[in-house]
Amino acid sequence: MGILDKKLSLRDRNKMLIGVWEDEDQLMAGASEIAHAGVHIHDIYTPYPVHGLDRIIGARRSKLARIAFFCAVTGLTLMTTMIWYMYVHDWPMNIGNKPVRFTPSWAPVMFEGTVLCTAFGMSFFFFWRNRLVHGIKNELLDIRQTDDRMVMAIETKDGMDEKAVLNMMKNHGAVELREFHNGVQIVL
Amino acid sequence: MIHDSIIRDRLVTGDKTASDVTRDIARPILNNPSTAWKVGFTLSLIFLGIFGVSLLYTLFTGIGVWNINKSVMWGWDITNFVFWVGIGHAGTLISAVLLLFRQKWRMSINRSAEAMTIFAVICAAMFPVFHMGRVWVGYWALPLPNGFGSLWVNFNSPLLWDVFAISTYFSVSLLFWYIGLIPDIATIRDKVKSKLGKTMYGFLSMGWTGSTRTWARYELISLILAGLSTPLVLSVHTIVSTDFATSVVPGWHTTIFPPYFVAGAIFSGFGMVATLLVVARKVMNYENYITIGHLDAMTKIIMVTGTIVGIAYLTEFFIAWYSGNIYEQYAFTNRMFGPYWWAYWSMMTCNLIAPQVFWFRWARTTPWFIFIMSIVVNVGMWFERFVIIVTSLHRDYLPSSWVMYSGSLTEIGLFLGTFGIFFTCFFLFAKFLPVINMAEVKSILRNRE
Repeated sequence: MGILDKKLSLRDRNKMLIGVWEDEDQLMAGASEIAHAGVHIHDIYTPYPVHGLDRIIGARRSKLARIAFFCAVTGLTLMTTMIWYMYVHDWPMNIGNKPVRFTPSWAPVMFEGTVLCTAFGMSFFFFWRNRLVHGIKNELLDIRQTDDRMVMAIETKDGMDEKAVLNMMKNHGAVELREFHNGVQIVL
Repeated sequence: MIHDSIIRDRLVTGDKTASDVTRDIARPILNNPSTAWKVGFTLSLIFLGIFGVSLLYTLFTGIGVWNINKSVMWGWDITNFVFWVGIGHAGTLISAVLLLFRQKWRMSINRSAEAMTIFAVICAAMFPVFHMGRVWVGYWALPLPNGFGSLWVNFNSPLLWDVFAISTYFSVSLLFWYIGLIPDIATIRDKVKSKLGKTMYGFLSMGWTGSTRTWARYELISLILAGLSTPLVLSVHTIVSTDFATSVVPGWHTTIFPPYFVAGAIFSGFGMVATLLVVARKVMNYENYITIGHLDAMTKIIMVTGTIVGIAYLTEFFIAWYSGNIYEQYAFTNRMFGPYWWAYWSMMTCNLIAPQVFWFRWARTTPWFIFIMSIVVNVGMWFERFVIIVTSLHRDYLPSSWVMYSGSLTEIGLFLGTFGIFFTCFFLFAKFLPVINMAEVKSILRNRE
């Protein structure tokens, strides 16, 4: 599995059914019913985080915490090695006849290095995994999905009852229904 | 549907919808700057000019133009450094510690407080860097091989810990701020009309679409960054305090310094947040987002941290007496009744006595009064650093070295000038980026607890 989450891209996909909501509670109820009916929801785009949607669309738990731990261990090892190399191995400095070996006075630099490495290492993976790259062309299904609208996208498959899905969307308060294929949207 | 809590006031008033939030908060970015902004920005540029002149004079003449001397080798410069670093603590505290404690009232104020942190750390860094004198060899503070002109750095020195702590704090705060900004920059990208604006905000938003998968990971990274930033923010002022506490100067050599400095930093940081937000909510019409409830919560933190700082002052005195050490006892008696008594009593009045007024609800809910008090708090905190640094140094173990110290015109110019840097950055931020976190505020509109 590559690091980049390919599910985030809308390119090279089958026809998609799009439902647009303006109310969070209605969207939640709609998404829940559609998922219970066995329809896989490709993604839901919201202007703010709506808790619970990730479970409904079947998003797996992120491994970011483990990556953060790995980065922290790397940072701590790097900093300890750096201090040991400079301060003990390469050029031991006699300062007030203090011992030239590991002392608690190394702790602040080790700690800061660990935090720095963890924060930037973890963020690097976050950006990569989420396809967040400077200058990328954003794939918006609705210009207001970053403002006040919530957009549900369902990728059609052979044997899917599209009409039933669209009906479920409509019954749960979707204000607009559309089809999306090859970059073109048709309002239904 | 809005759910009203029976015990808490609404965090956002005025029955706002998500669309209202975007419109209200993006207004200064999408429209031409207001007169208030233009006046404020011009004033900031004037102060920035004062900084430029003072700095150039210092650089071309040497730090002899400051009044520091062999006894008082740290004067206004390090006072200002600690003052600005302290101010820089509220941002991370609000965004990290209050996030971990699930305090939703932070959502309207975290963005501007984080911006304030970054600008304050820039101001702070100016002073130790230029105090080095030969600033062009400033890179010697970094762990570079001996061939660069210096030996390896000394890892036992708190001054080196400072280099690591401040640079880590600055970069991690900047990262935290930027990650928090991405969804809002995307909102602006989809609203702005000009081609340049679309390109700039498009570049900075990194293709954000608001996918549920991204949001889930985004919330997790915010939580982990908050978990990392919490010990980081505590470590930074702890390390700054060890610049003093590890020395053998009476008045500095105390184990109480780390918690006392951290509490003082939060105190002054919240003071500055209150100064900025009381004005911003009025001028930018954000009274429904930064409500009286927010001011009330902030002033309570000011009162608590002010009291902690006050107890620390009194504990220092007690320990000086209890230690039986005559040098320690003299240092503290000299602070209180010596030639700098006025600085000491200003500090006590502003930091310990004045914030007690926030026990009264009227004081916590009256914006103009909070504004005045926030200035008083920061005056007090500047005096605290002045008292710690100057009164301890001006009379050391050798009476022959005793001197008096006052800042030169250049030192005063540099200090006033950093307000120019700070406010120029802040005004640019208020014009080009959303001052309030739109995405987070939209998530609390329904007032679910």
